[in-house]
Amino acid sequence: MNPTTEVVHAANALTSWINGVSTEIEKLSRNVATRLEKNLVDKSKVDKTALVGLDALTREFLTRNTFAVGAGAFFATDAVEEGSRTVEWWSRQESGAIGRLDFDLTPGSQRYYDYEKLPFFSTAATTGKQTLWGPYVDYLGFEEYVLTFAAPFSVRGTFAGVAGCDIRIKDLEPLIMPNLRGIASDAALVNASNRVILGNSGLYLVGERIKPGSPDLHRMTLDVPHLGLSLIYTT
Amino acid sequence: MASPTSFEPQIYRPLPEIERADAIVDRITTAIALGLLKVGERLPPEAALSDMFGVGGATLREALGELRERGVVETRRGRSGGTFVVNQPRPQPTTIRDWFLSTSVSEIRDIGDEHSAISATTVRLACERAEAHDVDRLQELARALVLATTPEERAPADSRFHIELAVSAQSPRLTDAEIRLQEETVQQLWTPLPVPFDPESATAEHLELVRAVAQDQPEKAQKLVLEHIRRNIFHLIDAKLTLGYAQSVHDGQ
Repeated sequence: MNPTTEVVHAANALTSWINGVSTEIEKLSRNVATRLEKNLVDKSKVDKTALVGLDALTREFLTRNTFAVGAGAFFATDAVEEGSRTVEWWSRQESGAIGRLDFDLTPGSQRYYDYEKLPFFSTAATTGKQTLWGPYVDYLGFEEYVLTFAAPFSVRGTFAGVAGCDIRIKDLEPLIMPNLRGIASDAALVNASNRVILGNSGLYLVGERIKPGSPDLHRMTLDVPHLGLSLIYTT
Repeated sequence: MASPTSFEPQIYRPLPEIERADAIVDRITTAIALGLLKVGERLPPEAALSDMFGVGGATLREALGELRERGVVETRRGRSGGTFVVNQPRPQPTTIRDWFLSTSVSEIRDIGDEHSAISATTVRLACERAEAHDVDRLQELARALVLATTPEERAPADSRFHIELAVSAQSPRLTDAEIRLQEETVQQLWTPLPVPFDPESATAEHLELVRAVAQDQPEKAQKLVLEHIRRNIFHLIDAKLTLGYAQSVHDGQ
């Protein structure tokens, strides 16, 4: 059956909001790459001087995009000079101030944040496309319940890392719930692994997996390149 | 590389200026709201209270003064005098509304997840460990909920039942966890804002739970308690959605 006008309306609003975030992330990733290439001059690996200016770039991103709680770049270890920083990440604090977030990046340490194995990094690295990972509990990272948008960047044709942002689930809710509440039946935004990002009722709760097979459950794929999002709804 | 962890700002942030008198007011108000202190009950003498709270006489008197002003306690003179609990503290509707507006659906779902974990084990242990007199008491507490006539009385009746269930499971830690979870949500559940919660079905569920405990049926008891919590959480989420996001059905324009 064809989706109702209200479903189409909600899908369009969600698509447009998410594509807005994607465009911002593409831009951030491009700016990071440009900045690195300019700073590197003849050097092949990222070192301290190559990172100059990323700070201002990211702060500017966070100031403009208030939906994001954190942003920055994670580098592929191979692309970085031994002993240099591999993560440049800033987050918005309770007070509203933007500060650098430090992670434990010592392999073997109890609180080691092995980001290269996390899907927001590894998927972007293998596919070369933007990814959306979450909702997930970012243990050892930002330590909250978040969504991460990440886009890979290359330096002189070689993959060098991902740039992206975190959106707290509780911050996302007021931004997109009004769109979902425009649908009178039960509806939810779900990610590529069929996990609910946000639902408009108690039927679909954030974090739950939607089991396929219910006959009155419909799906509308959102036109958000590579992110694999859809809108599901009952009739 | 010995990098600092991301927790540093959390651990070393400035300590809040806790007003000790306010803390005492909160402690006693919450205890009454949860049914741990009952209307008519006499508080210990002032000297004993300052001792137990570890505060000076002036601070304690300030706290009692505040509680008297709120109409929660009354101090009577004379031989049978002392400070008595005289009223259920009335939850401020604005406080409850603020809670709904500032708590996201994901956080409410997460409270439910924790509550499910705690209650599932609590009720299984209660099946193993409760004695006949525990069962009688739980039954009486379950009935108290349907006998309560106002939302202010329903909240403590409901939380008391769940706390005593943990007591009958013989676990101080599970009891503490249950008290903390009750403090977090029981007022929100029973304040009719915007939709009242039905005490009859909650009572029926409590009674069925007591029966499963009495008959030592852990599987059934666990299933019942999980359904019970799920229904509570759905009610809270519904209230959140109604208060926070009025349904805006489009007219197809």
